[in-house]
Amino acid sequence: MRPQTLTGALARAGFADTARAAELLADPALQGADDGAATRLIGALGAVADPDRALLALVRLAETEAELGTLLADGGATGGAALSPADGGGGGGEVTSPADGGAVAGGGTSPAGGGASDTESDPSPRTSGPARLLALLGASSFWGDYLVAHPDQVAVVLDEAAPAPGPGPADAAQLRTALLTSVGADPHAPVPVAAVRAADGGVDELRRAYRHQLLAVAAADLASPDPQALLPRVGGALANLAAAALDGALALARAELADHGAGVRLAVLGMGKTGGMELNYISDVDVVYVAEPVEGTSEEEALPVATKLAATLARMCTMPSREAPLWEVDAALRPEGKNGPLVRTLDSHLAYYRRWAKTWEFQALLKARHVAGDARLSQDYLDALQPMVWTAVEREHFVEDSQAMRRRVEEHVPPVEADRQIKLGRGGLRDVEFTVQLLQLVHGRVDESIRQANTLAALAALTDAGYVGRDHAEQLGSCYRFLRVLEHRVQLARMRRTHLLPTDRHELTVLARAACVDGGEADALLARWRSVRRQVRTLHEDLFYRPLLPQVARLSASDVTLDPDRAKQRLRGIGYRDPAGAIRHISSLTEGVSRRAAIQRQLLPVLLGWFAEGSDPDGALLAFRKISDSLGTTHWYLKLLRDSGAAAERLAHILSGSTFAAERIARLTEAVTWLDDDADLAPRPREAIESSMSAMVARRRQAGQRPELAVRFVRRRELTRAAIADVLTGVPVATCAQAISPAAEVAVVGALGIAQRSATAKLALDEVPSRFLVVAMGRLGGAEIGYGSDADVMFVHDPLPGADEDVAQRWALEVATTVPALLGSTGSEPPLAVDADLRPEGRQGPLVRTLASYAEYYARWAQGWERQALLRARAIGGDVHLGEQFRELIDPLRYPEGGVDARELRELRRIKARVEAERMPRGVPATHHLKLGRGGLADVEWTAQLLQLQHADAHPELQVTGTLAALAAAVQAGLLSARQAGALSEAWELATRLRNANVLATGRTSGARIDQLPGERSVLVRVSRLLGYRAGHADDLEQDWLRAARRARRVMEDVFYG
Amino acid sequence: MDKQQEYVLRAIEERDVRFIRLWFTDVLGVLKSVAIAPAELEGAFTEGIGFDGSSIEGLSRVSESDLIAQPDPSTFQILPWRGGHHGTARMFCDILTPDGQPAAADPRNVLKRALAKAADAGFTFYTHPEVEFYLFQALESEDDPLVPVDNAGYFDHVARGQGHDFRRAAITLLESMGISVEFSHHEAGPGQNEIDLRYADALSTADNIMTFRSVVKEVSIQQGFTASFLPKPLPGQPGSGMHTHLSLFEGDTNAFHEPGARYQLSPTARAFMAGLLVHADEITAVTNQFVNSYKRLWGGQEAPNYRCWGHNNRSALVRVPMYKPTKGQSVRVEYRALDASANPYLALAVLLRAGLKGVEEGYELPEEAEDNVWELSENERRALGIQPLPGSLEQAVTAMESSELVADTLGEQVFSHFLANKKQEWRDYRAQVTPYELSRITLI
Repeated sequence: MRPQTLTGALARAGFADTARAAELLADPALQGADDGAATRLIGALGAVADPDRALLALVRLAETEAELGTLLADGGATGGAALSPADGGGGGGEVTSPADGGAVAGGGTSPAGGGASDTESDPSPRTSGPARLLALLGASSFWGDYLVAHPDQVAVVLDEAAPAPGPGPADAAQLRTALLTSVGADPHAPVPVAAVRAADGGVDELRRAYRHQLLAVAAADLASPDPQALLPRVGGALANLAAAALDGALALARAELADHGAGVRLAVLGMGKTGGMELNYISDVDVVYVAEPVEGTSEEEALPVATKLAATLARMCTMPSREAPLWEVDAALRPEGKNGPLVRTLDSHLAYYRRWAKTWEFQALLKARHVAGDARLSQDYLDALQPMVWTAVEREHFVEDSQAMRRRVEEHVPPVEADRQIKLGRGGLRDVEFTVQLLQLVHGRVDESIRQANTLAALAALTDAGYVGRDHAEQLGSCYRFLRVLEHRVQLARMRRTHLLPTDRHELTVLARAACVDGGEADALLARWRSVRRQVRTLHEDLFYRPLLPQVARLSASDVTLDPDRAKQRLRGIGYRDPAGAIRHISSLTEGVSRRAAIQRQLLPVLLGWFAEGSDPDGALLAFRKISDSLGTTHWYLKLLRDSGAAAERLAHILSGSTFAAERIARLTEAVTWLDDDADLAPRPREAIESSMSAMVARRRQAGQRPELAVRFVRRRELTRAAIADVLTGVPVATCAQAISPAAEVAVVGALGIAQRSATAKLALDEVPSRFLVVAMGRLGGAEIGYGSDADVMFVHDPLPGADEDVAQRWALEVATTVPALLGSTGSEPPLAVDADLRPEGRQGPLVRTLASYAEYYARWAQGWERQALLRARAIGGDVHLGEQFRELIDPLRYPEGGVDARELRELRRIKARVEAERMPRGVPATHHLKLGRGGLADVEWTAQLLQLQHADAHPELQVTGTLAALAAAVQAGLLSARQAGALSEAWELATRLRNANVLATGRTSGARIDQLPGERSVLVRVSRLLGYRAGHADDLEQDWLRAARRARRVMEDVFYG
Repeated sequence: MDKQQEYVLRAIEERDVRFIRLWFTDVLGVLKSVAIAPAELEGAFTEGIGFDGSSIEGLSRVSESDLIAQPDPSTFQILPWRGGHHGTARMFCDILTPDGQPAAADPRNVLKRALAKAADAGFTFYTHPEVEFYLFQALESEDDPLVPVDNAGYFDHVARGQGHDFRRAAITLLESMGISVEFSHHEAGPGQNEIDLRYADALSTADNIMTFRSVVKEVSIQQGFTASFLPKPLPGQPGSGMHTHLSLFEGDTNAFHEPGARYQLSPTARAFMAGLLVHADEITAVTNQFVNSYKRLWGGQEAPNYRCWGHNNRSALVRVPMYKPTKGQSVRVEYRALDASANPYLALAVLLRAGLKGVEEGYELPEEAEDNVWELSENERRALGIQPLPGSLEQAVTAMESSELVADTLGEQVFSHFLANKKQEWRDYRAQVTPYELSRITLI
């Protein structure tokens, strides 16, 4: 043979190191490998996952097992077909159709349910013995090493006629017999006890017997040309084998005890994948133990013995010995998890599940199955507990719990692994299992046919019973099999417990070949893997929500439509409170031939899921219907939702979370476009708002055009923007200063311009007779108003030189009267109440004064409360120079030299005390009022203002109008400790956010409720979600508020009352 | 309907129970009871029994006074003193808001929350209370003089003692209700008795204490006595406390036990004790909640009133009892200030959380007090760093008011209600003119 030819042949067969392969082929151990045989061998190796690895293992094996070389040579000589599964697998008679393997699950018979018959044939393909050996050696270095160490086991692989263990009950019984016998226990005894002690080789015997069977499973699996079809059989066989090993380990454990634990009945229930007959090659085996005393023994005596048995059993599987350990026996799914006792009696289990168990624990029970020990006790356990699984959906927190489980599926993946995880994360195996189990829990209470422990069997049952569309279910099943086969192949390589794709390119190629991915290329594998993960994600929506669409809205013939009862179950199961109403909206949105209906049929399944994650799915669906009714024919609207996943998800989130924002969006169509772009949702600077407002007003100079509506429109637009951003970002306190206050200021400025023009015209003047100024007071002065706040202002004017003072005063009064009227009148645009009650002499005083009049008044009458009010005074509109003059006038008043005197201080404190006693609205607990309650806004603001009055002269940094700024300045000035300021700020911020969230949640912008912690539960829940609390944590909000307010009050009492 | 609920319904049928009392407690630990007929029970299990919470001390917010009592079937018991036929049974209830959330102000829920917090740290909390009380000849009115039923002392066997019969009757009833009694004996004061309840998890213990108080009151009425848990009914005689043994378990193992360590106490146990000592003044308003509680603490006769610990030191607030070398599981610490008038749910919750705080923060346990701290002088105690417990309800309330730990344990609602209630009690008490003051009427 010419070397070039050989190298070429080796390269074509997929060898990476052809030189070494050529050397190995010439190894004397492969005696009898003449040229023809060698060519056939190379060809056969070309079909395995890793030819280099397979050839090396083969040579090592042949060195110990002399006949092997001959056998291979003979096998090669007697028929090429025998060596090459690729040649022989063309549907030939000896290869049973792999589709039969799929029938285990696909046909709806459940291995766990005992549906598989004893006589079921082994459908694994009859690949020739040598080919099986090569496939095994090529895919797994572990098994290569194992065979070198245990040459007698090679026969297991070579014997092509011997059936591999399967998933049926007969297989289970055979395996149990084999493994019990291996330790000398009588499989027919009621309580088998090992004859060989663990230390005398019992453990090794058991492990050898286990691996003997495991080898047969692995060999059949790896030799299969269609591993995905075979997967259900493999998972079932592995579960049976694990169960048999547990029985063997229990027999060993009993042998360790003097009386063999005769007083104890111990049952081992398989959970998780073991219970579901879908085990991996190597993973923790999840179990739960139940024990009962034998009659004549007391519970107190029995339980310690049972606990010892269980602990020993686990040790038999894991303790170091000559043969490698099997796997961890994990009992963490037991009641109370790792904190709970290892073994409980049946009653103790029952008591726990009745009283304490969470939804996920019931979900875990779904898969419970007897695996070892006392079968009758297992049955009693299952009989008692299984019915509880199916009432879990009726439990109080089912919806929240299941959403939390869903989040757990998606979280918990370390970022470095996210690209390689087969099991966890979105689109992973867990995600598939979650989807199937949630459907089972939702519908399983009334439909026994879908109570399956096995994922694929459950999926098939859900399909057969019409809960999910057949195409979608088949796609999901196929994704699941693909991911599981990858997982199996990754594990088989070194028999390590891993769920990560390899990073190494060569290993990826090997994996692609082992998993029989088309082309056997690393890139093809990665591409397929990514598309499967994407598909799993969308299939959740397709399986769960699409069947909620009415018959006429079906996208394909294989889609199903749930009947009303089932649809209601499902909607209720995910949190819709009025399923009947929801069904009506869904029908209305998706029926018909319009383009709108067609797009909504696509969109709605996803939206329904997003709505359900919010606090009010029903309200969201209704709001979506309203928007759709008003916008549905607008060309860009549905297109945007269809093409921008982010916009659709945000819209769903907003509609479900905030009545205020939902109503505002419905009235401002352009707001929908903002959803696509964060820049559109950021607060716009006041100058930008102002110039857009001025332009709009300028276009409405004609009589009768009501330019004030443009002013009010601009404010509405900015509030809509703020509301959307608030809902998406947890209602930050900064919105008040950055968006809500500027919007009000611009509205006042706009109204002022209009009012000045109209007053001038009304008085038939040629030009304005006076300079005019609007000063913001109160929270507007501090730029901290909320959605429901009034705008507190004072009006100042200063007659121009030469103007008639009387005319100027009349003109100014006209302006000051017109501004609130323009902004406050009812109309299509939301009003802004402008309130000038903080002016000198309050409502008794003139609405507007000249600067000189203010000076005169303050010089003569200024009172403590007026100084306090002036602390917040800030010019926001009108003549800039007049603003400066006004500030110069009031600064000495509000920042008095040396602080306020003792009398004024006393008066201030007395007024506050009286307000506390008298102003509290009746019917609200003092702890729950955000404004006037203990530790509420007033407490914090008065404290800050007291410090300002006393110290702002000496510490100019205190000369600010905002509360938070004043508190920060007080820390800087050493007047408050950081802790004190922190307590005050925290309560103030939370109260401010709560007031905004109250409006956002309910849509009500006025009324006493805005200023209270919601008393109504449903509102509290909504508000808590808006503020970023997780579902089911509304009580935390209440506690957080009460705590923050209590702490703030303590500081206030120290600082304010002194 | 789960099996336990079915069991209760069946038992009611079989035992011919005519009334079911639904029990819960207000914030002060006063037992509240609603009687329902068996026919209503099924509804009570599924939907609960609605009631107006605003009329129960501290239970609800004003804005949301409707509450629901939902019976816990695992607490079902026939009330034996009501007779076998046409009997009466009781169940403890959880209090829920109308939408099915646990009510923040339900004391049982307060304890459950504290236990959940311990469970998060991997602990279960076991307790063992020694309840003391006095038996007097029946009082017709509150003005009658208190006449103890006997004049015996500690562990005295009183021949044909009425207290003897009383304890036997009470214990029989308790046992028939599934409450195990460990120990009972005559205490140091005349007519004073002690009955120790068996170790149990804290929630069962609190339920048992509530039941225990009812049983003792019932039996005393049947036998023509008046029983009282008032902490200090007789000046000059020992008060009635409720020394309570505490331990944390991790699964099946006692987390307080470390073989070979001093007194077998694990670092967890030492940190837990340190937590109790550090926070003792903050929790005293809860563990000793009445004006009268401070008469016991400061009225002499061996009530623990200084914040220190000791081994077999009866003067210590936290005592480490004698251990039996073979019984590692029984290592525990005893908190001796608690009295039987406390709301057991709240008291066990604050004790647990104070101890846990010590474990979480790794508090250092101070030196053991080996002397009898009552015999030390004020300055000696100061030198040793031994602080007194609050001297009055007012001081205790002040200490509690600034306690984040107690606020967090009780929840903000119970916390603020409790404080308001106790401040009112102090004001009411302060308005009293006592016989002691009047005894000076002629002198002044």
